[in-house]
Amino acid sequence: MKKRKMTGFDIAIILLLAFYGLLILYPFYNSFLVSLVPQNTYTKTPFMLWPSEIDLKSYQFIFLSKKFWSGYRVTSIVTVVGVLYNMFLTVITAYALSKNHFKGKGLVLNFIIFTMYFSGGLIPYYMLINSLDLTNKIAVMILPTGINTFFMLIMRNFFSTIPKSLVESAKIDGANEIQVLIKIILPVSKPSLATIGLFYAVDRWNEWFNAMLFIRDGSKHTLQLVLRRLISQVQSAESGNIPDIVKDGLFQDGVKMAGVFVTILPIMLLYPLLQKYFMKGIMIGAIKG
Amino acid sequence: MRQEMGLRLKQHPHKKFVRDILRNKYIYLLLLPGILFYLLFAYGPMYGIILAFKDYTFKGGILGSPWVGLEKFRMLFVEPEFIQAFKNTIIISFGKIIFGFPIPILLAILLNELRFKKFKKTLQTVFTFPHFLSWIIISSIVLNIFGNLGAVNNLLSVLGLERQHFLADKQLFRPLLYITDIWKEAGWSSIIYLAAISGINPELYEAATIDGANRFQKIRYVTWPGMRSVAELLLLLSIGQVMNAGYGFDQVFNLYNPTVYEVGDIIDTFVYRITFQRPPDFGFSTAVGLFKSVINFGLLVTADRVAKALGQRGIF
Repeated sequence: MKKRKMTGFDIAIILLLAFYGLLILYPFYNSFLVSLVPQNTYTKTPFMLWPSEIDLKSYQFIFLSKKFWSGYRVTSIVTVVGVLYNMFLTVITAYALSKNHFKGKGLVLNFIIFTMYFSGGLIPYYMLINSLDLTNKIAVMILPTGINTFFMLIMRNFFSTIPKSLVESAKIDGANEIQVLIKIILPVSKPSLATIGLFYAVDRWNEWFNAMLFIRDGSKHTLQLVLRRLISQVQSAESGNIPDIVKDGLFQDGVKMAGVFVTILPIMLLYPLLQKYFMKGIMIGAIKG
Repeated sequence: MRQEMGLRLKQHPHKKFVRDILRNKYIYLLLLPGILFYLLFAYGPMYGIILAFKDYTFKGGILGSPWVGLEKFRMLFVEPEFIQAFKNTIIISFGKIIFGFPIPILLAILLNELRFKKFKKTLQTVFTFPHFLSWIIISSIVLNIFGNLGAVNNLLSVLGLERQHFLADKQLFRPLLYITDIWKEAGWSSIIYLAAISGINPELYEAATIDGANRFQKIRYVTWPGMRSVAELLLLLSIGQVMNAGYGFDQVFNLYNPTVYEVGDIIDTFVYRITFQRPPDFGFSTAVGLFKSVINFGLLVTADRVAKALGQRGIF
């Protein structure tokens, strides 16, 4: 493309988008500062752009808290095992549905898509989990989330963009569908697998609702739920109950925000690496979807 | 190929059916685990829907509890808290659509007009990031920013204005929901529009340039028509989410408090509260959930019909 002159329009766009970018970033930055400074620094400076005094007590509290470590452990298990389980179910279902000719395909598709729009609701789900005896087991945060139908359909669309000739030649060599899937399809589907894998990983990392409903034993709570408890504990401190944090003379907001950053750290680290993949992956899914 | 078709025609239809099944046996094998998953965890709870027509007792269980017909549904319409939650759900849904729907479109158009590739990529990374965080995280940050000693109140006081209780103010709670929803999701939603824009034939832009179109005209007559059908489809899809207040459970549940129940309680949070925070009436809670699901499904089918009538591909 030829180099064009910067016009007022270009400058306006840059400013507008940069402003929106700052609106997204500032809350994170501000929260990060809150986690770093002692309480009196925070109350003295209404606008912090730079921490005038750094105090790692908030992080110390989080790192010394047993609950956070056990939350980290549970969430890691849920994420690793959960994503493997998610990917296994999603890949085989998506691949089978990307095939054109087999009896009952329309029926199976409708059977699946119906569940996107109609569900039993909270109570029947609650009772089902109870009757399956999954209560208070880590499995309850993994098993019920096997396939996200939307992600599965994106993956199916990706599979159907793979040239048929690739598959045909393997079949002539005598490979069956399962061998084709493992040897031909998966290697060429890396962007799609990375994208959907990341989506699932984030979902599992963010798990709290099933934990809140079904896990009684605090040592099996996920990281997000531990954080939620910490925050509401601090909140209820404002209405009279005195939790440990206050007794220890810690800066409550600082501890909360340190908890936030400890919780999102893996996402922050993983996200820029996979971002280039998922932009591509979701776009293919979106256009053909 | 032709020969094979000839052979197939001669066969008995039964045999053909069996042969089809056998030929695709690996496909069925691959489908089996997924089907079992859906049967158990998606259709399993649907069986529990009969609770909406029963007076649930722990002793009787789902099957043994006595039938009460539509009594639980009648209870819905005399329960003021439900009526309030129903109203809130609809108001919040439409609020989210009205204020939130245009923003990703605008973002996509602006990003598309941005001429620095690197800057564009960095911005996209920033814009989409909040989408990947849970509402527990986002709400903690929101509580921090909008809290009494938070950045927003500090700004207000520096400007000589009064500090506000953003999270306990009935007037401000819904706008807070709209703003935080936009903040979290608009950047992510803009990706789908950018995908649509990238599918526009570049020759259209060249032709427009030759015709002497300026940039606004190109946006109006090339970019917008290219993304319009995606916008229409997404709008219709959001209609199907009206009773969920636009996937609002996590958001409302983590942001609200008893002071703002009156304006913030949606059907999903209402069901949660009546089931887990007071002596439960499982039949009634299930009836509320079913009422919601049926309306949602009806809206979605209607939206699909409208889409097809408008010449769109539809949702299903």
